[in-house]
Amino acid sequence: MEYLLEGFIKAVQLIIEGDDQTWSAVSATLTVSGYSMGASLIIGIPLGFFLGYFSFPGKTKIRLIVDTMLSLPTVFIGLLVYAFLSRRGPLGDFGLLFTLPGVAIGQTILALPIVIALCATAVEAMDRHLRITLISLGASRSQLVLTSLWEVRYGIFAAALTAYGRVMTEVGISMMVGGNIKWYTRTITTAIVLETGKGMFAMGIALGLILIAIAFVVNLSVSFARKK
Amino acid sequence: MSEKCFFRIFLITLLFVLISSPSFAGRPVLMMATTTSTDNTGLMDYLAPHFTRAAGVELKWTAVGTGKALEFGRRCDVDLLLVHAPEAEKKYVADGYGVNRRMIMFNDFIIIGPASDPAGIKGKKVIDALTGIQNRKIAFVSRGDNSGTNKKEILLWKESGFAIPNREPWYIQTGQGMLSTINIAAERKAYTMTDRGTYIKYGDNKGGNPALKIMVEGDAILKNQYSVIVINKSNCPEARYDLAMKFSDWMAGKEAQRLVGEFKLLGKPLFIPNAN
Amino acid sequence: MKERPIYQVKQLVHRYWQEPVLQVEDLSISQNSIVGLVGPNGSGKSTLLKMLAFIEKPTSGTVFFEGKPVEPFSDTVRFQVTFLTQTPYLMKRTVFRNIKYGLQLRGDTDNIKKKVYESLALVGLSGESFAHRKWYELSGGEAQRVALAARLILKPKVLLLDEPTANVDVDSSRLIREASLRAREKWGTTLVIASHDLEWLSGVCDNIIYLFRGRLSGNRKTNIIFGPFTPLPGGFYEKNLSKGQGLVVPRPPHENAAAVIDPEKIHVFSKEDLTPSTGKYLRGIITRLVLEKETGNIAASVLIGSFEFCANLSHKQSRYSVLYPGEEVILSYDPGDIDWR
Repeated sequence: MEYLLEGFIKAVQLIIEGDDQTWSAVSATLTVSGYSMGASLIIGIPLGFFLGYFSFPGKTKIRLIVDTMLSLPTVFIGLLVYAFLSRRGPLGDFGLLFTLPGVAIGQTILALPIVIALCATAVEAMDRHLRITLISLGASRSQLVLTSLWEVRYGIFAAALTAYGRVMTEVGISMMVGGNIKWYTRTITTAIVLETGKGMFAMGIALGLILIAIAFVVNLSVSFARKK
Repeated sequence: MSEKCFFRIFLITLLFVLISSPSFAGRPVLMMATTTSTDNTGLMDYLAPHFTRAAGVELKWTAVGTGKALEFGRRCDVDLLLVHAPEAEKKYVADGYGVNRRMIMFNDFIIIGPASDPAGIKGKKVIDALTGIQNRKIAFVSRGDNSGTNKKEILLWKESGFAIPNREPWYIQTGQGMLSTINIAAERKAYTMTDRGTYIKYGDNKGGNPALKIMVEGDAILKNQYSVIVINKSNCPEARYDLAMKFSDWMAGKEAQRLVGEFKLLGKPLFIPNAN
Repeated sequence: MKERPIYQVKQLVHRYWQEPVLQVEDLSISQNSIVGLVGPNGSGKSTLLKMLAFIEKPTSGTVFFEGKPVEPFSDTVRFQVTFLTQTPYLMKRTVFRNIKYGLQLRGDTDNIKKKVYESLALVGLSGESFAHRKWYELSGGEAQRVALAARLILKPKVLLLDEPTANVDVDSSRLIREASLRAREKWGTTLVIASHDLEWLSGVCDNIIYLFRGRLSGNRKTNIIFGPFTPLPGGFYEKNLSKGQGLVVPRPPHENAAAVIDPEKIHVFSKEDLTPSTGKYLRGIITRLVLEKETGNIAASVLIGSFEFCANLSHKQSRYSVLYPGEEVILSYDPGDIDWR
C-alpha cells in the first residue's frame, strides 16, 4: 500500500523537476498517439461515414468484421505488425521496426475499428430529415457531407476520445514493435512495465498517474472545444 | 466555431504532428537485443554513455527474454546480442546466425527461499536441493518464459533426474521477468532460482533486508555466463556488422571490463568481467 | 398569353423496395400559383413533394422545372426550390446560424444580421430574443417557424410545405400560414402545400390536387371509404359507420379495394325537407360549410360516426334550404354511383 502515496509524491516530483527520462517517455507517448490518431481519424471518419450513411450489399458483413476488430488484442496486433516490419518481413526495407512510426502503424490498426464503428453508429443515428433539410436549403453533395459530419461532431468527438484512450494506454504494440528503447521508443506504458519489472512499484505508479493527468488534460480541452 | 474553421484547425494540427516527427541524432546507431537482467539491474544504462563516448556510436537496446533476443537476431531485426544461454548460443552460432561469440562477464545463479527453509536445502548441492524441493512438494517459482535463466533451470531439473515439472501444483510458472518472479516467490513463500545480480538489486529495493535468503550458491554448474554475439553478415547483409564488431571489441576491452567490475549495488558487484 | 408552367411532371413512377408509391402521368403547376396537395396519410404527398424539391430522383419519369428536365443537386434548381418538412430539423447550432445557413451556401452574407432578423420577424419571432438561442431551446411551434424563416430568407422561387401546421400550436399555425402567403405576395413564390387542413387550402389555393394511393385522383375532393365491408343479403355489402348506420356498397372487386363516391353524387337534405325519393340514406351532422374558390361551389362536411363525408351543395339547394354547422341532415346516395379503387 505504501507505494501508492510514495508514487503520488514521486509523480509530482517528476513533473516539477522535469525529469529527462519521464519527459522523453511523455513525448514519445504524445508523438506516437498523435501519429496514430491522425492516421486513424483521416482514414476512419470517411469510412465510418460511408458505412453509416449508405446502404449497399454486404454492409452488415463489413459491420460485423469492424465490430469484431474492436476486440483485437494489442499483443496480437503487435505481433502482426512485427511480422510485417521485421527485416525479414515484407515491409522490412523501410526500417520501421523499433521506431515510433512503426508503433503508430500498430496503434492505427488498434484505433481504426473504434473510429469507424463509432462514427458509423453516430452517422446511422443521424436524423433522416437532416439530409432533406440540407438539400432543400441548397447544399451541394460535398456541402451535404461536410455539414452532416459537423452535425454528428459530438459522436465523432466521442469516437476520437475513446480511440485516444485506447491508443495512449496500450502496451502490447509499443512493447513488441517499439522495443521499449530508452530515449527513443520508451512510452509511458512501456516504462511502467519496465519499472514494475525492476520492482520499482512507486515509480510505476508515478508514471501511471502522469498518464492519467495527460488523459485528463486532453479530455478537458476537448470538452472546452465542445462548449464553444 | 464553424465547420470550416474546425476542419482547418484539424488539418493544421495534423500537419504539425507530421513535421514534428523526431529525426534521429546524426550518429550511427547500433541496435542490440539483450536480456532483462542486464537492463533491470541498470548495467546497460551505466555502460551505454561510455560506449557512445568511446566509439561515437549511439547504442539502442531492447530488453527481452533470451529466446526472443535470439529470434530478433535470426530475423535480422538487431545487429548484436548480449545474452546468457551458452548451450543455445553455441547452437545459434553453429547454425550460422551469429559469429564471434565472445564471453564478456558472468555472475552466478543462486537458489533463494524463505528464511524458514521448509525443504531443508540450505547449503546443499544444487541437485540435492532440487530433489528435496521435488520430494517434499514445496512451492517453487519458475520464470517459465524460455529465458536464459529458465533454460538453466530446466537443465538443472534434467540433471537431477526428474521429469521437468509442469502441471504440479507446487510448481508456479510466472512468464514474467526476474524481479517480478522473485516478488511472486516472496509473496508465496516459495523457492526460486535467480541470477545473483538481480537478487542484489532485489535486496537493494527491499532496503537491504530481503524476505528471501540465499539457500544454494557456489556450485560450478550454477555459473551464469554472458556473451556478446554479432549477427552473421551472410545471414543478414543489412545488419550493421562493423558497428557490432566495434561494440564487441569495446566490451571485451580494458575500459569496459573495468566498468563492469566497478558496477556495484549495496557494495556488491553484480557481474564479474571475464573476457579473454 | 398563357404562362409556361414552373413544374411539369411526366410519366413519373417512384418505388420503394419495388413497391410503387407514386405514379403521376402528367401534372403541371403554374408559376406564382398556390397549389394544395390533399390525400390520406400514405397517399404519396410527401413523396411527390420530395420529387418536386429534387431531393430524390424518381425511379422513372421526369420532372421539368421551367421547361428543363432536372435532377437532384442540379445547379439550376439548387438555389431556387426549398422544402419544409413536417417535423422541422434544426441543425445543432444557434437559431441565427440555422437561418443563415442557406444564404451562406449561396455566398450571400452581406447584411446578414438584418436579413436574419427580418425573416424571423416574418414568422413572428423577435431576433433579439431568439437569434442566439440554441437549437434545443425552442418549442415545437417555434422550431417550425425558425425552419420556415430559414427558407423564407432565401426568397425562393418555389416553397414546398409538407403539413407545416400539423404539429404546432394555434398561434404558430396562424403565423406559418400568414408567412407562407406573404412569400407569394413579396417575391411571387410558387407554393405547394400538403395539408389536411382543407378549410385553409380551399381558402387560399388556386388549385387543389388530390392524391390517393400514389395516384392523382382529380382536382376535387372525393370520399374514400376503406373496408372491411361485410356482406348483406341480396348481393350488397356494407361498411359500418356508426351504431345502426352503414354505407351500402356493391360487391368489392378485391379484398383491399376502397369505395369512392363523388361529392356531387351525395345529396344533402335538411330534416324538414321532403323525404327524397330514391337511393339510400344516412343521418349525420354538418361540421363545416366551405366555399371553394375555384368553382364557386359550397362543400359541406357531414360527420357520421367518425367518418366525415364531403358533399357538394348545388346553388339551388343552398339557396332553398337553410343549412348550418351543427344541424342534423340526411344524406342520400345511390350505391350504383360508387366506384372502386
